[in-house]
Amino acid sequence: MSDNPDTGGEVRVFSDYVREARDFTEEADVVVVGSGPSGSVVTYELAKAGHRVILVEEGPPFTPQEFSPDGNISMARTMREGGLRSTTGTLMPVLQAICLGGGSLINSAMCVRPPGFIFDEWSTRFDLERTTRADLDPHFDAVSEFLGIAPTPEDVQGPRNLLFREGCDALGIASEPVDRNVRGCRGSGECYTGCRTRAKQSMDISYIPQAIQLGARVLTSLQVQRVLSEGRKVQGVEGQVVEPFSGRTSHRFKIRARWVVLAAGCMATPVLLQKSGDLANGSGQVGRNLQFHPGSAVAGVFPQALNPIFGGTQSYQSLAFLKEGFKLETMWSAPAALAVRMPGLGDALVKHFGELPRTAVWDAIASTHRSTGSVKSRFRSMNPAIRWRLHPEDMKVMLRSIHVLAQIFFAAGAEKILPGVHGLPDELHSAEEAEVLRDYPIRPGDLVTASSHVFCTTRMHGDASRGVVDEDGLCHGFDNLYIADTGIFPRCPSVNPMLTAMALAHRQAESLGQRI
Amino acid sequence: MADIIWAGIFIALLGMALGRGWAGYSRTGPSYAVLARREAAFLEAAAEVLFPPSEGLPLSGAEADLPGYADRYLVVLPVRQRNLLRALFVLFEHATLVWPAAGRGGFRRFSSLSEGQRLDVLRAWESSGLYLRRMVLTALKAVLILGYVGHPRSLGALGLAPWKLESPRVEADYLYPPIGEGRDRLPDRASAPASSPLSPPLSPPLSPPLIPGVDQETS
Repeated sequence: MSDNPDTGGEVRVFSDYVREARDFTEEADVVVVGSGPSGSVVTYELAKAGHRVILVEEGPPFTPQEFSPDGNISMARTMREGGLRSTTGTLMPVLQAICLGGGSLINSAMCVRPPGFIFDEWSTRFDLERTTRADLDPHFDAVSEFLGIAPTPEDVQGPRNLLFREGCDALGIASEPVDRNVRGCRGSGECYTGCRTRAKQSMDISYIPQAIQLGARVLTSLQVQRVLSEGRKVQGVEGQVVEPFSGRTSHRFKIRARWVVLAAGCMATPVLLQKSGDLANGSGQVGRNLQFHPGSAVAGVFPQALNPIFGGTQSYQSLAFLKEGFKLETMWSAPAALAVRMPGLGDALVKHFGELPRTAVWDAIASTHRSTGSVKSRFRSMNPAIRWRLHPEDMKVMLRSIHVLAQIFFAAGAEKILPGVHGLPDELHSAEEAEVLRDYPIRPGDLVTASSHVFCTTRMHGDASRGVVDEDGLCHGFDNLYIADTGIFPRCPSVNPMLTAMALAHRQAESLGQRI
Repeated sequence: MADIIWAGIFIALLGMALGRGWAGYSRTGPSYAVLARREAAFLEAAAEVLFPPSEGLPLSGAEADLPGYADRYLVVLPVRQRNLLRALFVLFEHATLVWPAAGRGGFRRFSSLSEGQRLDVLRAWESSGLYLRRMVLTALKAVLILGYVGHPRSLGALGLAPWKLESPRVEADYLYPPIGEGRDRLPDRASAPASSPLSPPLSPPLSPPLIPGVDQETS
């Protein structure tokens, strides 16, 4: 059974439980729930330190043969609720992975260190004394070195990314190639449906195999349904085996552990706490303060062919507007998925499809601090009910980001843009026409947005009455329950969160390792 | 007597509802794993007007077998989401009761309307002042566009077909069998291609970048 007889490290998959056909109990020093970037880092670091670690993941491991280039099929198989999860209040699709490696399997590998002022805000507003950029830089460095994080090289940028740079240069806007966790990227642009070139260092092919080599046990297709606790201590977790894709549950399991690390994600972790008797909620903050980075995209059509399937998925960005509340970046996806944002019906719609080979799509993610919501457990389900409302002032920030993107497109030579704003023309043909975006009285609902960046539902706070965890991720009021995912972010970080989540997890693992 | 009249009205309404919901759909054609024929009829009717024949793309919506695509998609969705999408198809098919098409017979179900009426109905959804109504149309468009633009012939004509790639083998490939399969399906290390990248933290040899527009095979 063991994949590494020397250390006892192993991975178990659904077929193993089917063969064994029984309930089971396991023991470990530490059980980590969730194999996304944070959980994988914690698992690896603790295994490296010689501790007995079990990593539990609800989804299955994917192999390249199982990646589908079809956007619908891919999302249905790799994302929670078939990729159709959404908020209520302001309706917005929300994307969360369910697979070994979590979001790293199907994200674009962007690794961005937030600038110092972001952490300064965190520190001052949330009584955090050891969470400055300087405090975290050693942890950023450690993760970056492990994953080979580096700026995207020129030879795999491709025209649609380089045009963004041209447009920014023409307007005097600072831009840069994106740092990514890839080794030997070939510019296939398939990050979102799974990297078939195996260049992306998603957790399932980087941290997790290394952790197994060091003795970690990785149990996939297990849905944790309850954290076992007594007083200030937790004793482990329990749940059921879950069949990939169908979600059918079967045998029960229990994992006893001296330490529990919840890294199930910003949605699943608070639900798990709520299902466990409202655990760690002395502050009343579990499931509250929900924030997103809502994304909005603009398509630009150029006179020349761009061969857009070639190039890094998201390889160029501008951090110049972070203080205004948004970040700009290039993007690509399965072509048919991008076509969904094309406006019109009938002949007009099909005409836009014909322009896809000349189309670049650039997007903005917004730091919507004023727009908050909540996550609550649903009756007889581990899926969350997500309530969130986009604040009108944040809407203005998003409109401003679209206006800037429009300027960059025209500066780069686009012949027209498709702004995707309800109430405005489907196409704008010049920078002058795009000025209509400057003062448009936009309302929530005028813009189709989506987000995969989710934060703050178990936020860290120096004051135990106002947050769920301390700076090491230890739950206030508990001796041995940690949280390690983007839920602990006190505010949205304004940049792509994976690297920050991993850096915080690295620090947590160090702290937890010392305590063990 | 009043009871009989109410019962008669109830039976008549029930009959009308059943007739509208189930009667008159073609009984021939392909069978689907999930989709009912009435849902397939709606999708065909929507695809026909959403994606008319054009010079830029080699096939129209009517030729792209979008009910077949939607059926394959529904099969892999969780049950709750599958049912929601099917409900969306039914909603569109019968929403003409609330938002009828202009012209004669505008209250008929969507798939029974003329092409012009169907397009007008969809336009009304797209330009609606109700955000929810626009989002519902976006959801319908998403299913159909992914099937239509994602059709191999469409992608091929646009020069956007997926790269032909043989994935190099990495250490993780010796750990994870295909989903649902046993360990006997794990690859044999002895058969590893010579070009396998090494697992982190060691760096693999850099491959040349893909050449745009050319199918690539890794060695």
